[in-house]
Amino acid sequence: MTATHAGRPVYLDNAATTAVDPRVAAVMAAYLTEEGVYGNPSSTAHAFGREAARCIEVARAEVAALMSAEPGEIVFTSGATEASNLAILGTARANADRRRHLVTARTEHRATLDPMRRLEKEGFAVTWLTPDREGRLDARDVRAALRPDTLLVSIMHVNNETGVVQDVAAIGAVCRAAGVLFHCDLAQGVGKLPTAFAGLIDFGSFTAHKFHGPKGIGALYVAAAARPWLAPIMFGGGQERGLRSGTLATHQIAGFGRACALVRVEAGSDAVRMEALRAALWRSLADLPDVHLNSPLEGGSPAILNVSFEGVEGESLVSALPEIAISTGSACSSATAEPSYVLRALGRSAELAQSSLRFSLGRFTSETDIARAGEAVKHAVTRLRSVAP
Amino acid sequence: MTGDTLSPLTREYFDRLAHGGCFPEGLPVVSGEAGREETGTRVRFHLLIAGAVVAEARFQAYGCPHTLAVASWLAGELAGRRRENLLPGTPEDWARRFEVPVEKFGRLLVIEDALRDCVAKWPPDTPLPGKAS
Repeated sequence: MTATHAGRPVYLDNAATTAVDPRVAAVMAAYLTEEGVYGNPSSTAHAFGREAARCIEVARAEVAALMSAEPGEIVFTSGATEASNLAILGTARANADRRRHLVTARTEHRATLDPMRRLEKEGFAVTWLTPDREGRLDARDVRAALRPDTLLVSIMHVNNETGVVQDVAAIGAVCRAAGVLFHCDLAQGVGKLPTAFAGLIDFGSFTAHKFHGPKGIGALYVAAAARPWLAPIMFGGGQERGLRSGTLATHQIAGFGRACALVRVEAGSDAVRMEALRAALWRSLADLPDVHLNSPLEGGSPAILNVSFEGVEGESLVSALPEIAISTGSACSSATAEPSYVLRALGRSAELAQSSLRFSLGRFTSETDIARAGEAVKHAVTRLRSVAP
Repeated sequence: MTGDTLSPLTREYFDRLAHGGCFPEGLPVVSGEAGREETGTRVRFHLLIAGAVVAEARFQAYGCPHTLAVASWLAGELAGRRRENLLPGTPEDWARRFEVPVEKFGRLLVIEDALRDCVAKWPPDTPLPGKAS
């Protein structure tokens, strides 16, 4: 199956978002019209509401199965950002009178970094860990950062820029032994790597649109034992057992459930195929001189390849590649460019960090896409280098 | 698929990168540069001098598409200019012409600095060594 259509760019930005799988879209569409299941799932006084509630619970079971969790441990949110905010702010504020220290890493997604910074402003202490040059955190460093008043450790599963995979089991074991809560951002791992982390983590954030589900729906896994430590951060109708108020988006949740069911069946074969395509892309790009690999070739996400091209600025490279939809690690929106904070934290120079591209693959990426991308990038890099100082 | 983030003029010059590169050694060339790769923008101009005017100009640049496009356009505008009036307009003029986002204006100042460096290195009354071809 391929999502490449005549005249459209090759889509290699699947870490940003993915195309909705047609099988997911078909399920969702069936919920939207008068013939569909449009009742409010909280309105259980009538058949429309009860049917919607039943569909929600079917989907919840599919989502939970992905984590080897119980359905009651899944809290639906608008996405991974909201889920991470709920886990971090919700635990910190609920336990501010007991523990006021948290631990995270400098290479986390902003959905973690920004709530942590917010908590610092509220008087909490945060320890910011720096991974090694390969981007990995040692569980011993996590253990060393713990204090008697540490409440929560938040470390992501797969880095969204580099595809580096953290040892969730080891970090979880450290937290468990110390009696510290462990939140894991699973957004980039689901659908690409095994994520049956129930029992290893206390909270897990993920979102459907990263694995060919719809945007606007995600979940926080809340281990049953961790539930007493968590308080809501928004208030309204008390849905999701009081943790996330707001009318449940039935069609989104149904699509989320279907996407999870597809992942359970197809993620293994998808990952093998993406790994081969990613390796082929790297082999092609490595023809160029002075390219630097920022992603692990072994043991990383099969879906992410981050490469720096010496002598070429990232935004120019993206602009020189209209035939490829791709992300640069650098934020080229200010007078002084701001290179990727993730790559800088890994010790890459500012120049290399702002010369990076992130290629991210998905279920619909084809061999033809990869071949086109490799040739286009090589041509563009060579052209831009021809005018480099 | 539509929605280029670059203006049509910026796209045109960025896609062509005309006047890119440098001149062979031994020619009467004045070079000026500004910026650093670490901060996202580095620009260098090379002016081939004939008598008291620029015979031809070339540029080298590391930076965003607007930087490369404006540098390319300027290199084409420099031919025939003298030391006293080397700069074709101001960074504000260039920003308007290429619809450069305001947050990138600092990059145009780097380009201006590179041209001013050319002026500083161009001896006012001293004939340059070598001959223009």
